[in-house]
Amino acid sequence: MGSLARAYGRPLALTLTAILVLWILALILVPLGAMVQQSLWWKDSAGDLSLTIDRLYNDIATLQLDAGNATDAAKKAALDAEIATKQGEATALEAQELNPGKQWGLDNFTRMSSLHLYIFVRTILYALMVTALALIVCYPVAYVVALASGPRKAIILTVALIVPYAINELLRVYAWLMILDYRGVINGVLGWFGVVDLDNRGWIPFLENPSAVFLAMIYTYVLFMVFPIVNTLETLDRNQIEAARDLGASTARIHRRVIIPHAKPGIAVGCIMTFMLSAGSYSVPAIMTRGQGGDWFSQLVYRQFFESNNWNMGSAYAVSLLVVCTAFILLMMRFFGVGLRDIAK
Amino acid sequence: MAWTAGIRPVGTTNIVAYGSSMRGKDVRLDKVSIRFGDSTAVQPTDLAIHAGEFFSILGPSGCGKTTILRTISGFIEPTDGRVLIGGEDMVGKGPNERPTALIFQNLALFPLMSVAENVAFGLEARGIGKAQRLKRAQELLELVALDQYGDKKPADLSGGQRQRVAIARALAVEPSVLLLDEPLSALDLKLRQHMRTELRSIQKRVGITFIYITHDQGEALAMSDRVAVMSRGRLEQVADADTLYAEPATPFVATFVGEQNVLRGRITTLADDVASVETPIGLVTGRAKGALKVGDEALVMVRPERISLGASNANTVPARLVSRNLEGPSVNLLCAAAGQNFTVTVPNGPAVRDLPEELNLSFGLADALVYPMGALAHG
Repeated sequence: MGSLARAYGRPLALTLTAILVLWILALILVPLGAMVQQSLWWKDSAGDLSLTIDRLYNDIATLQLDAGNATDAAKKAALDAEIATKQGEATALEAQELNPGKQWGLDNFTRMSSLHLYIFVRTILYALMVTALALIVCYPVAYVVALASGPRKAIILTVALIVPYAINELLRVYAWLMILDYRGVINGVLGWFGVVDLDNRGWIPFLENPSAVFLAMIYTYVLFMVFPIVNTLETLDRNQIEAARDLGASTARIHRRVIIPHAKPGIAVGCIMTFMLSAGSYSVPAIMTRGQGGDWFSQLVYRQFFESNNWNMGSAYAVSLLVVCTAFILLMMRFFGVGLRDIAK
Repeated sequence: MAWTAGIRPVGTTNIVAYGSSMRGKDVRLDKVSIRFGDSTAVQPTDLAIHAGEFFSILGPSGCGKTTILRTISGFIEPTDGRVLIGGEDMVGKGPNERPTALIFQNLALFPLMSVAENVAFGLEARGIGKAQRLKRAQELLELVALDQYGDKKPADLSGGQRQRVAIARALAVEPSVLLLDEPLSALDLKLRQHMRTELRSIQKRVGITFIYITHDQGEALAMSDRVAVMSRGRLEQVADADTLYAEPATPFVATFVGEQNVLRGRITTLADDVASVETPIGLVTGRAKGALKVGDEALVMVRPERISLGASNANTVPARLVSRNLEGPSVNLLCAAAGQNFTVTVPNGPAVRDLPEELNLSFGLADALVYPMGALAHG
């Protein structure tokens, strides 16, 4: 702040600081805080309460019947008093049912069912696999793009990467759906050649296999892996590649010892982005599996919010995913030996 | 002896044993020409570089010298012709299969590896075990007086030290031919001069062929056994430094190497190899170089230090002294005669302290070289 004021003057420095604070508040602290807060409390389950109330009303109905049949005035008065007591009890419980007590704690996190936990772990593993596959696919692409020069580079970039990504993500996922569907492009071609029998539902069920989701995800997130790697590879002095070759190194050794170490920060950024996107992707698994394949965790979070209407549980799920993803980022940074500073480059 | 700025003398004993395992090979270009698309980078060229020679290719930027170097190292295949190293045709052999090592202009050290790993990289690529290759790296670092720096990263070293790491890294693969692409251009003047002697002494001791690319004539003349001067993709002259300076074969070489006073004129008489040329300052006689005919336009070149004051020589020009620039051991006199500028370099001394404004310049017949019209180095 002091140096900012010296550089830009007081009013401008204040404005800049205010913008920064607003930015952090609006984009980080408030949404994240709301989510964490939501995940840390729950309302008492109304289930037992409703049961008790139901029983009370049953009792009341029985008592009313008894009271109606009663001939003894004293007995009737006793029954009426009992009905009034039960009615008061029920009313109190009903008020409690309508406004259940807020409980604070970590229960939302610990109450995850074993099935959901399994899906959670599986989603993380799937996202890791997508990340690894995307890296394998994208590194050669990034290498070619980064080392191409002049008009060739522009052509590769535009045709191979920018044009596909100008199309909406959902459309691209649906395109893959059409390719892989039961009566999709691939099965169609195979049927044409007589490999599969479409008339008798003898198609290959690509969409029921998690790899269909992998494929669509890799396709969807290629750019996020390619561009960071291209960016770092572009800064590699090509003389180093030539020097290594001149010193007798094989292509594999050049990649292992010279190019990949240089591209590490880019690889780390690409992996982090791809992992975050695929671990949190909702549309790709939802569209690609159509319920035929296993759920991804993001779909569970969605259901907690919009089908179970349990926002607290949903928040807890979302926060868990966030924590694991953040841990993954830190792990990746440690693994690749890169700091935030390298990544910012 | 205290050495500053990272400059240390190269050890004198430790290299001998190492160098004995290396042997230089000769390099021959056989009608090599190189074209990139429509543009010709190197005209058809024949060149024979002897084994164990310190050979320089000197020329302005864009003359094709780096292209030739990259062709020898195998990064470029010649469009026509052959490259032979040690008598062996190099066609189809990549840079990693040739007995050459290249030192890049920017050195291209691997910044993420330690100095020792850099030097050992070529051995690593050859599958030599870690302990052995690091031992060799250490020996080579001793050769370039950097044995204390093996664990450092290249970025931690000074420019001259990085230079020597690059040399050690290239020598580690025991090349028969070391190719150097202006490796001193990034250094400051003092270090550059020091590295000249150092390079020369390393070459003497390892005994392999050095092919050195430079645009700096001082470097080429100071270090080389022979120098090739290139211009526009063509070899102008291949000769030792003295010949290059005293007997330049073309106007380009004459003006690119050292300073010249250039006169333009027309040949009036031609007898044996003595030509008389009518110039703005009168008739000048000199030695004919190249194919000349009476009536042709010609260039007359006279080196500033070959001109003396007084009227004692074959060619005498009355001139007016414009300025006097003290260089230290010598003095440059800028003179004008009939609209023609002359630079005269004379030894400093009492005789040139108080010069009259009008003086006579003279130079001998042997000091003036007469060339057919041709391209000059500086426009």
